[in-house]
Parts: sequence; structure tokens; C-alpha cells
Amino acid sequence: MVRTPPSWPLIGALALLYALLYLYAIGDLDFGRVEWSWQALDWQWQRLLARRGPWHFEAVAMLELGVLVLLLSPANLALASVLALLLAINLHGALALRASAQCSLSQGAASSAGLWPALLAGGACCAPSLLLVMGIPGLGVFVGLFAWLLPLSLLLLVLSRCWQRRRGAPRVLWLL
Amino acid sequence: MGNSQRTLYRTLVLCLCISGSALAMPPEGPPRLLSASHEAYANAMLSGGPGKDGIPAIDSPRFSDAASADAYLEPQDIVFGVYHQGQARAYPQRILVWHEIVNDTLGEDGLSISYCPLTATAVGFKRGATSLGVSGKLLNSNVVMYDRASDSHWSQIAGVAIDGPAKGRSLEEVRVVWTTWARWQARHPQTQVLTRATGALRNYNRDPYGSYLPLQGYYAAPGLMFPVMHQDSRLPAKRMILGFRSERVAIAVDRAHLREQAVLHYRHGDEYFLIIRDEQLDTGWAYRSDTPIELDPANLRFTAEGPQAAELEGLEPLNAFDAMWFAWYAFYPQTVLLDGSHAP
Repeated sequence: MVRTPPSWPLIGALALLYALLYLYAIGDLDFGRVEWSWQALDWQWQRLLARRGPWHFEAVAMLELGVLVLLLSPANLALASVLALLLAINLHGALALRASAQCSLSQGAASSAGLWPALLAGGACCAPSLLLVMGIPGLGVFVGLFAWLLPLSLLLLVLSRCWQRRRGAPRVLWLL
Repeated sequence: MGNSQRTLYRTLVLCLCISGSALAMPPEGPPRLLSASHEAYANAMLSGGPGKDGIPAIDSPRFSDAASADAYLEPQDIVFGVYHQGQARAYPQRILVWHEIVNDTLGEDGLSISYCPLTATAVGFKRGATSLGVSGKLLNSNVVMYDRASDSHWSQIAGVAIDGPAKGRSLEEVRVVWTTWARWQARHPQTQVLTRATGALRNYNRDPYGSYLPLQGYYAAPGLMFPVMHQDSRLPAKRMILGFRSERVAIAVDRAHLREQAVLHYRHGDEYFLIIRDEQLDTGWAYRSDTPIELDPANLRFTAEGPQAAELEGLEPLNAFDAMWFAWYAFYPQTVLLDGSHAP
């Protein structure tokens, strides 16, 4: 079987998709018929880190683009970027290990476990959006645990990257 | 300054602080029926997810006239209407679902208009010189507010402080009508309407809990998300009722049953209750009396203030508000249910 080396354009596209999914999960990106408009709050430094919930920050501007609403929060965008970057590095490592036949597909998939918790931590109003969408009765008693989902994602992505490096995956950035 | 003088000075400052915060607390409301102790309620509080003020109350609300609001409100959109001291205001549900509290002023009164999406309850309170915020905690799945003068926790449905310096105090309620924009505008053509300039950025085109038209998401799902103190299966959990209470009894009227009646009479011990259906607003108005109530529905007319009839003079109006059945029952497990299944 021919094993192809990692493709950065593909990895970049998947990482971007993941960042958009994360923004959708926390409600900063949404679809629906809206107007064309732009709103920004008066500039205040403290708005940059004003919290809506654990690991969820207030927007400083909002774009309505006909069929798409984008709430712009620098802190949420930074978190989405870090998650997407870690995903990209993990993907690169998994593909590189697979190309050199040092890692099976199932091991590669296992290393992506860190992708999911952050998507499940999305916030809404009185409860995380996951609870609202899934409507799982009684799950609200565990709501405090949802604050740990994003750190869990970051930790799992870092750990899986460390595992890849020990298996011989090539270094991508100076640290990872 | 000697030690005794310093102690006296500190005591004076402490007394001033305490009395100052007490003065700034919301005005005391009437005694209200409670089915559990304040301590039991405080112990049953749990986190809803976002922290304190994670759901930001609207502290500087802005209003438009009805014509401007028509640009972004559909006739069937739910609004919470308040008529107070000759002023009518509508608070769109699609805005309040993201904020839960509006600290407003109508006439000379500071009012907090509160809405809990999880229990579908919209209740108005006199807030006095302070304002209310969203604590991030829930009691029986219902929003718990806090006042910014004493930081006490207030239950929305119970209308009382369950802990903090204000523990035991009740809030004075103001009628909030759950209706549609078209119905409210027909009754109050001069109404003002809360605008989307709330001071926070939210996607007011989307309700994160689902939708009322059509009924979808959390509002349609049969299950509860958070634990409650009492449960009952006589009605589906999310069925809407109109609830009100006197000092001794809580009464829930099935909204579907109310729509089939012009008036409902109910006697509980030596208390007499009258519920009047308001067809235009699709709501009900509740009254209490110590003597039997006689009313010919043909004499009723409806104005901005609500139902008018000579027979209503002398009756005690009771604040009523819509709620999901599970939430009302969780707070009032001894509630009377008027749903037409038994003759009252």
C-alpha cells in the first residue's frame, strides 16, 4: 500500500473546519436569515476578558451577513485558534507516523480523542447547549463538570502529541 | 484615638453599612405562601452553568415605539407586557431569553422584569433603589436572582430571598402578561418596546432553548434538565398553566382549560377566588375575596388596566403568571389544579 506524506492544505482545511465547529458549538457562529449589519461595543480593555461562563467570553463586535451571524470575541477566537493549531499538529503527526508505518489507523483515531470535549462544552444561557440540544433529562446535575471539558481537550491534545513525538513523529514547531 | 473609641467608630461604620444595604434592598412585599423553609430552598440551589452575571441583566434598557418594533417583531412573537402607572411596555421573549432580567423604571417605580426560559415564567418585581442580576444558580430549574445591594439570593417563582441578609423577605410583584406582539399591540397601541440595543451582543434571531412556534427543543421535550424538589404527572411537565397564590393556597389553572371559560370560580376553605379569561391578550386575571363573588361575565369590559366591572370593586387582585406545570408543582406541591377534570 502506498502511504502518502501529510498534506498541509488538507490539514489546514480540517483545522479551520474544527475552529468553525468550535465557534458554532459555543454560539459565536450561527446560521439563519439575518440582515446585513455590523455592531461593535464601545472600546474598553476589560471587555476583552469579560466572561460569559467558564472558558467562554463576551463578544466585542457582531457581524450579520445575510445568512450568517458571527460574534467576535478575541478570547474565544484565541481559544479556537489554539485548539485548531493543536489539532493540525496532531493530524500532521498521525499522518506522518502512518506514512512511516509506525502507527495504525485506529491508533491515529485514538489520538484524536482530545477533539471532542471542547465541542461539547459550548455555552448557551442557563445550561450548556449540548444539554439543551440532546435534552438528556437530569444531566443538569453534572453541569459543573462541563467547565472542565475545554481544559480536558487541550490536555488530551497535548498528551497525544507527546505520545506521537515519542513514537518518532517529526517536530513541527520548535516546542512540539 | 484610644481602643474604645476605635471600636465605637468601627461599630458605627458597620451599623451604617448594614442599615444602608437594608435601605437599598427591594421593598418588602406581602407575606407569601412557601412550601419549604428558606434553608431547604437554599440547600436545593445548584449551578446552572454560567457564573454570576454570566447571563447579563439589561441595566440600561432602550425602547422604541410600536411602529419601529414591527420591523423586527413578527405578530406571533411572544412578548412580556407590563402596564404600570399608565405606561405600557413590551419585552420581547427573543431578547429576554438571553438576559433574563431587565432593570427598568416605569413611572416612579424601579422594576425588574424577569424571565426564566427553563420554567417559562415571566414575573415583574419592584426593585426599589437597587437592581437585580442573574446569580447563575437555579432552584427547581428556575432562575435565582441576586440583589446588588445585599447580594442576597431571590427565587423568582417563590418571590422571596432564600439566603443572605435579605433572607425571608418577599418581593412586591408586578403583573407581567405573557402574550403575543399582535395581541399586546392591539390592547396597547401606544406601547413602548424594548430594543436590541441592550449593551451586550447576542444573536437575538435565535432562541438557544428551541422555539415556541413551532414548539421545538427544550420547550417541547418531555424531560427535565435539572432536578426539582417535587414532581407530578397529572399534566405533561412542560404544559403551560396560569398560577397564583394567596397566603394559604396556590392555584394552577390549565391554560387550555382557561381558554374554554369566560370566568372560573373556586372556593378554598373560607377564601373565594375568581379567574377571568382575557380573550384579547389570551391570559387570565385572578381575584380573591373573603365572601362569595358574584359576577355576570356580560358586565365585563377590558381596558389597559385589565378587566373592569362594578362587581370587581372590593376584590383583592392577585398577581398571576404563566409557568410550566412542573415548575409550579416543584414550588407548590399542595397546589390546587383547575383543569376541568373535577368540578371545583
